[in-house]
Amino acid sequence: MRATLIDRVRTNRRVKTIVASAIPVTWVVVLLLLPYALLLIQSFWRLRNGTLTHEPTTENYRRLFGTSLYPATILYSAGVALRVTIISLVLAFPVAYVLAFKVRKHKTLLYMAVIIPLWVSYVVRAYAWKIILGQQGILNGLLMSMGIIRAPLTVLLYSTAAVVLALTHIYTPFTLMPIYAVLDAIPPALKEASQDLYANRWRTFIHVILPLSLPGVVAGCTFAFVLSMGDFLAPQLLGGNDSALMVSNLVWSLFGVAYNWPLGAAVSVVMLALTLALLWVAGKVEARGTYGGEARTSVTDYAAPV
Amino acid sequence: MAIVELHGLTKRFGAFTALDGISLAVERGEFLTVLGASGSGKTTTLRLIAGFDLATEGRILIDGADVAALPPFKRPVNTVFQQYALFPHMSVRDNVGYGLRMQRVPHREIGPRVAEALDMVQLGPFAERAPRQLSGGQQQRVALARAIVNRPRVLLLDEPLGALDLKLRRAMQLELKELQSKLGITFIYVTHDQEEALTMSDRVALMRGGRIEQLGPPRELYDRPRSRYVADFIGETNLLSVEAGRDPGVVVANRAAGGFPLRVGVRPEGVPAGVPLWLSVRPESLEVVSASAPENGAGENRLPAIVRDIVYAGSVVKLHLVLTDGTILVAHRAPSDPPFEIGAGVEVRWPSSQGVLVAD
Repeated sequence: MRATLIDRVRTNRRVKTIVASAIPVTWVVVLLLLPYALLLIQSFWRLRNGTLTHEPTTENYRRLFGTSLYPATILYSAGVALRVTIISLVLAFPVAYVLAFKVRKHKTLLYMAVIIPLWVSYVVRAYAWKIILGQQGILNGLLMSMGIIRAPLTVLLYSTAAVVLALTHIYTPFTLMPIYAVLDAIPPALKEASQDLYANRWRTFIHVILPLSLPGVVAGCTFAFVLSMGDFLAPQLLGGNDSALMVSNLVWSLFGVAYNWPLGAAVSVVMLALTLALLWVAGKVEARGTYGGEARTSVTDYAAPV
Repeated sequence: MAIVELHGLTKRFGAFTALDGISLAVERGEFLTVLGASGSGKTTTLRLIAGFDLATEGRILIDGADVAALPPFKRPVNTVFQQYALFPHMSVRDNVGYGLRMQRVPHREIGPRVAEALDMVQLGPFAERAPRQLSGGQQQRVALARAIVNRPRVLLLDEPLGALDLKLRRAMQLELKELQSKLGITFIYVTHDQEEALTMSDRVALMRGGRIEQLGPPRELYDRPRSRYVADFIGETNLLSVEAGRDPGVVVANRAAGGFPLRVGVRPEGVPAGVPLWLSVRPESLEVVSASAPENGAGENRLPAIVRDIVYAGSVVKLHLVLTDGTILVAHRAPSDPPFEIGAGVEVRWPSSQGVLVAD
């Protein structure tokens, strides 16, 4: 009898399941859970005279919440992210609406046109704003040639506004995609039914389209908020002195400049906790948007590892 | 006065003419069925009356007022949609109350009216459910309640029973008909199911290629079809290729089958001899006897045939017969009738009054 291992795998259902799920499970554990676990552990080590010691301590967290710098940075980042989210939503919703309901021909083509910026490297897009907003930039050149200003403006670049602008540009497609997906899935008959029942276009939008699009809106806003809150490249390139106030830049400098890994890890852990809490709330909000059961689409369907 | 009048209604989608100048008057309280195959223009007609599409040409009058330019939310009609189109984010109660809320009916009136409408479709206990928690038949009733709660002057129904299984469909047909006579609302009912049309309607408009092929009570369409298409579409029938005979009376010759004469009840008026026609005889009108059976009487048509197939269909046995020219006839017999063997030589007989002549 040579019942080989392969034969046993082939016949045993349970073994089969284990083998089949081994790769994704390994993937998640090694690339996701393990780094987070290490980060968590790191945040409880003590830094003594610039040297990492493996003594457990809550000192990092006490320092984090004890000074105003870290909470203020988180609040400031949240403020930037909130602005990006609101502007993205205001830009993305009408475009998604028109794409889903008004465009008949070349729908896919137009959708691609909106999505294409995602194929361009993030760094390139952030740099593009440097070229547009810089002192010798395109915008200054244009304004000067039109005679609106005499000398190049220096306030355009290296400001919070520039960061918000670039982040909005980068993350608006992420807001648009889920909104478009839910709007496109609304059967045209629902709109007709609403109009048949004496609701004009505006009331049809308020009572039918908007509530049904909520899951997509929540998902899109969560994307914009979470991604821009954790962004550090755009602030680095465009934020100037303000950039030091974004939380990711703070983490970056704690790890890369100050060599205070435990404190950097603690800030990261707090950010992670905040993000997960936000996703949880977003999921709850979506579930409330639909009557009697689960949401059709959920933010957790989209949520990428943060 | 008619409640809905269509005058020369035409709808073109680009180069395609979906509706080709139809005119129709629907009486108050009538159950009118618009029957037709897919692409015949029946749904287009309904969508134009509801206002979801705008007519290319023609007028639509509801209660004497031209509504052709009005958006759907300003027309005094309501629609029951094919896939029900219930709002998934609202309870059954809120779905049914939607039209009343949009009309800004006072709140204290909405509650009782919604409850009444739900009782009418026997869904009172399901008011707080979500539409997706209901069965297809229940969803269909919600769609119905959502429309009738508004007390529309005209109710438009777009294949409302299409998604239900046969048994439920039959039950709902009767229920709908009952509801209609109780409420006295005019129903304009679109379907491709000829049996449904015959069962429920006061009148049927059979559509073909964007035009009305024939309009009349179900009985009239069945007994006196105006064309070969109508005869073929409504119920089952046998169509024999014939031509008008020289005898101006009642005799018609079967061309392909060697020209033996057939008697028909109604003489084709003003049709010269030699004009090709179709003779429609319903399967239940055909009598099948053995070839040696004695003649029954005058006024009967008799054709020799061979039994090709026997199909048992419960209440009837369907006999497929081949005539000498190869034409196949279907005759219905009772299961209790003496059986025939496949391949047996028989004679098909029918009273001349049962044959209807139709143009191609």
